[in-house]
Amino acid sequence: MIAPQTLVFGILALLGLLSMVATYLAVTERDLVKAVVFSAIQSTAYAFMYYLLMAPDIVLVYVPVAVGLYPAVILFLIKKTERFEGE
Amino acid sequence: MGINIDTYLFNLLIMTLFANLAISLYGVLARPSLIKKVIALTILSDTANTFAIVVGYRMWPTPTSPPVPPVITRIPPSREYMDWFTARAVDPLPQALVLTAIVIGLAVTLFLVFLTLQIYRLYRTTDVRRIAKLKG
Amino acid sequence: MKAWERIVIGASMVIFVALLALVYTLGALGYRVPPSTPRDLAMVYLTMTFNPSNPLFSAMAPEAVTAIVWDYRGLDTLFETAVFFLAIIASVALMRGVSLPEKPPSSAEGMSLIVKTVTKLTIGMILAVAASIAFHGHLTPGGGFQGGATAAVAPLVALVVFSVYFLERSGVTKNRMLGLRSAGLLGIGLTAFLVLIGSLLSGGTAFVFQNQPKPAAPIGLPWRIDGALTGGTLFLFNVFEALAVSAGFTIVFLLLAVPEEEAIKVVRGGEDGH
Repeated sequence: MIAPQTLVFGILALLGLLSMVATYLAVTERDLVKAVVFSAIQSTAYAFMYYLLMAPDIVLVYVPVAVGLYPAVILFLIKKTERFEGE
Repeated sequence: MGINIDTYLFNLLIMTLFANLAISLYGVLARPSLIKKVIALTILSDTANTFAIVVGYRMWPTPTSPPVPPVITRIPPSREYMDWFTARAVDPLPQALVLTAIVIGLAVTLFLVFLTLQIYRLYRTTDVRRIAKLKG
Repeated sequence: MKAWERIVIGASMVIFVALLALVYTLGALGYRVPPSTPRDLAMVYLTMTFNPSNPLFSAMAPEAVTAIVWDYRGLDTLFETAVFFLAIIASVALMRGVSLPEKPPSSAEGMSLIVKTVTKLTIGMILAVAASIAFHGHLTPGGGFQGGATAAVAPLVALVVFSVYFLERSGVTKNRMLGLRSAGLLGIGLTAFLVLIGSLLSGGTAFVFQNQPKPAAPIGLPWRIDGALTGGTLFLFNVFEALAVSAGFTIVFLLLAVPEEEAIKVVRGGEDGH
């Protein structure tokens, strides 16, 4: 039987690892559309993290901004410019 | 004397945040595409904000009762409720600072998006190495 | 870079961080992270945010975060709103002279009828949720910034599903949004001086950005009207900030949706392409 505190801290650590891998993939990916998707995964991990860290105000502002508006705006930008990062 | 598993897991969270900081700094400084720089910059600012939230967190009062958000739910609050509340609530100050930082970060990022768009319209590229070679 | 190389690098980063955390934990034995008691400053805010027995130092709002944002550190938030304003104005200035072409191109029809009908319902719901978040900001988690950011999702969805011409036809134009945004900022400015004006008219003294009565400044806004909590100026600040934030983001999205050919015409027009 896992204590609830250990469970919550474990989920926090897993979310941290997920966000780290997503950040690495987003920064190294050459296809910018895929990079935006990885960045959105990182944002989702952060949103859950804020919820578990007892910051509901931040969740309410972070979900529309970082999961909704950021990727949409960057996708607009990619559509108007170029999709692949140069070698 | 073993290690405390809770402390270890929380330190793991902090270390992943440090790693995120390093990776996104590399993205801002070393990647050639301006769009990639903007993406890395948003990750960098989000990570800095998350650090502030982590600083405001507190250990659970007991291993089975979690901390509570800094919102009073009983009006008017009795003395016993306030004692219960202050023994459990997390720090509200970092949350208040991060709240405005996120919205203003989005506005500044939108400005950077427009700058990138303008550079692409003038020079037909978003690669900083090629922009640096251009004259005028 | 090959796929398996990325997997190896990612896995080794996970192992590296896990071991680093272990070293850190072993070195920090006896020291608890996170701390078991918050800082003294946090205790001040937690005990003072809604404290009827000490009304001279309380913000009289049960939501500590909103109380800090708009009462204890209200001037900070005012200047941060100024930064927000400048960033939006800078974006508008970069796109000066760019406007939509008179006749919409045939490709600007948007998605199918089913998607459009569902989206119309969804936009109404998004706006309702945003209003709920913004107007209850002094009672529950939420407030002007959160509500404004949520409301800004609605024009973005409309841009993607319909087109920028649909928004233009339904009255969401750049100039109108600029007006709405200026109205929000004006409201924030007026609310900041509200207590001061009322106090000067009745011959007393007051502080700028005052909410509840303070020592030597006995006038404040009522924190409860007919039993319902209002948080004094907090409710007004939240409403006006939500207006300013959502309208400001909508301007930027409208500018971002202008077809690229039009913008290039303006940027390069007259000159020989640099």
